[in-house]
Amino acid sequence: MKRLTLLAAVTAAALASAAPALADSFTLWVRADGSTFMPKIVDAFNASHQTKAELQIVPNAELVPKYAVAAASGNAPDALSLDLIYTPSFAAAGQLEDMTDLAKSLPYYASLSQAHLSVGTFEGHIYGVPFSADSSVLIWNKDLFKQAGLDPEKGPTTWAEIRADAEKVKKLGPDIYGYYFSGNCGGCNIFTFTPLIWASGGDIFSADGKTAKLDSPQMRDAVAFYQSMVKDGLVPAGSRTDTGSNFFAAFATGKIGIAPSGAFAIGALNTQYPNLHYGVTFLPGKTGGWSSFAGGDNFVVTKGTKKLALIKEFLEFAYSLPGQTLLAKYGSLPIRSDIAKEALAGLDSRYLVAAEAMAKGKTPYSVVFNDLINSANGPWNTTLNKVFFADAAAIEPALKECDATMQSIIDAAK
Amino acid sequence: MSGSQTDDVPKGPTSPARRVRRRRRVDYAGYLYIAPAILLVVVFFVVPLVMTAWMSLHNWPLIGRIRWIGFGNYIALWNDQRFWHALGFTVYYTVWATIGLLAVGLALALFVEKPRPGIGFYRTAYFLPVVVGFASASLLWAWLSNVDSGLFSPVAQWLGLTAAPYNLLADFDAAFWSVTIMVIWKVSGFYMIILMSGLQAIPTDFYEAARIDGANYRQRFLHITLPLIRRSLVLALILSVTGSMLAFDQFYIILAGGPQNQTLTAVYWIFNQSFVSFRLGYGSALSMVLLAILLVLSLVQLQFLQSREDRR
Repeated sequence: MKRLTLLAAVTAAALASAAPALADSFTLWVRADGSTFMPKIVDAFNASHQTKAELQIVPNAELVPKYAVAAASGNAPDALSLDLIYTPSFAAAGQLEDMTDLAKSLPYYASLSQAHLSVGTFEGHIYGVPFSADSSVLIWNKDLFKQAGLDPEKGPTTWAEIRADAEKVKKLGPDIYGYYFSGNCGGCNIFTFTPLIWASGGDIFSADGKTAKLDSPQMRDAVAFYQSMVKDGLVPAGSRTDTGSNFFAAFATGKIGIAPSGAFAIGALNTQYPNLHYGVTFLPGKTGGWSSFAGGDNFVVTKGTKKLALIKEFLEFAYSLPGQTLLAKYGSLPIRSDIAKEALAGLDSRYLVAAEAMAKGKTPYSVVFNDLINSANGPWNTTLNKVFFADAAAIEPALKECDATMQSIIDAAK
Repeated sequence: MSGSQTDDVPKGPTSPARRVRRRRRVDYAGYLYIAPAILLVVVFFVVPLVMTAWMSLHNWPLIGRIRWIGFGNYIALWNDQRFWHALGFTVYYTVWATIGLLAVGLALALFVEKPRPGIGFYRTAYFLPVVVGFASASLLWAWLSNVDSGLFSPVAQWLGLTAAPYNLLADFDAAFWSVTIMVIWKVSGFYMIILMSGLQAIPTDFYEAARIDGANYRQRFLHITLPLIRRSLVLALILSVTGSMLAFDQFYIILAGGPQNQTLTAVYWIFNQSFVSFRLGYGSALSMVLLAILLVLSLVQLQFLQSREDRR
């Protein structure tokens, strides 16, 4: 019954929002994560163009159900800024317009974020083009580093250095900890933990996303690395049950030495915690190298819309240097590598690290990403939560079991 | 179930023909009066129920093509270990929550039943948590049990009960009891009211007579109080079992089904299938099965109430 009540509520919300559209306008939805930069770019576009974009912001968790209900009743928005990991499942459902020609007609097509395009491509066609971007990085507290006798300007570059620095910071006091991660948050860990594996030469899926291969030497090493830091008390006890609510807040308290985080944290820390001195560096591999999760939104178009020309106009504005500069100013990294430096000029130099991370970032590809990774009860989160807080002997069997569960979910979706 | 017997009993001197005519007129008026209620039930219960049943026969993704698969969802459900495991956990929770609720509710009811100075304060205090929403109460307890920024762990450490910070929500037993105790704290006031009204309906003469016969407190409780509040107890039992079988909010908000999915309830699993995996058809099939289970449980309990009544 609860489910139906929810469905009814969503339907009511969708009906209430179906406003009559103007002739030279198109409707556009964005999830709440984009509520800072999206209104700015839409306002700037509407002020300088004949064409108008009508923006609606939808709570993160409701975007997919709400869009689905709207699509079923023929009221779907013309365009949607969609969490990029959903692009494959939307495309597979036959919900999206083919944007291959539009994308390839852009003169700067080659410098658009490859990570976005790779998940935006389904069976050789492009269904989603890059819009906003957020990359994962490692941040460290310069004040605590200084107190611990470490060089406050030098972040760790290998796992051993992370551990050594965290140990020194931990010695500063009982309520100060060396490292923090959200131990019960699938979304947080795909964003910040997988780069440790990628940077060490491993991966979690095959390139086409059809085979789960978690049980690799790199994955086992990375789990053991986290496990040992937990065991030695370098990580606060709350990490084990943090479903993501402290992902940003824990470091912001100023009592955490090092934490994996995202580019979004730079803007948030600067505005909300101006007195916290922190550095930004790459998420390192076991013995060096680095990687990043390229996150953010893909821009997709509902199948059958008649507003494609107007939408292209909007996209070209967002992709222009003024557009990219505006987006960067309000918290979204540039998605055009050829003008990234210019778009970031004058902004906090730490953004440059995040932008570089973005350019080399990866995004896992799966049509069942939500089931496998993001769900609090999915195999990824359940397995990590188990092995991070267990002992060394538990790692291999748990990863093997996780592979089997993931594979059964992937196979069931075919 | 019973009651059919009474229809055969002749109903006074009215001739059969007149009886029918009068009845029909009364029926029309009656339908008119209950029309608004029927409309509500049809729109908000019957239609969704039929739609759920219809959806359960399809592969019905949240987005994409809908496909008829007959009883495919029910067959898949039969082999869905995780659903049966979730149902098993729900039953486990229902048993403990019901025992806790009825025991604490009865104890509170016995305490606040008799009028005495200051009793209004106690009654209000025990009932207050009931008016807090389940989601708000869950958020409050999620914070209280947070090991780093909450209350329970630092207090336990300060009192010397634990040497190091103890994460209440990290192990099954501690997590399960944290939530169950929260539910008992929040809902037992409601059962207190139900049982109190039962207690107050017992004439004091019974106790006086028993006292004169030399019955002690235990005997009076077992042989007078308990049998005479049986109807209130059965009502409380049905409400508690039905409510607990549908538990979702507290486990979703405080534990997110953790640690390691050990506290996934049946409704939680339905929610996950429908809105995380986007399989609305399968979620509908699960809902239908849960509905059938609840229906059987309620019928059994009602039967229990009724048969005892008839014997009396």
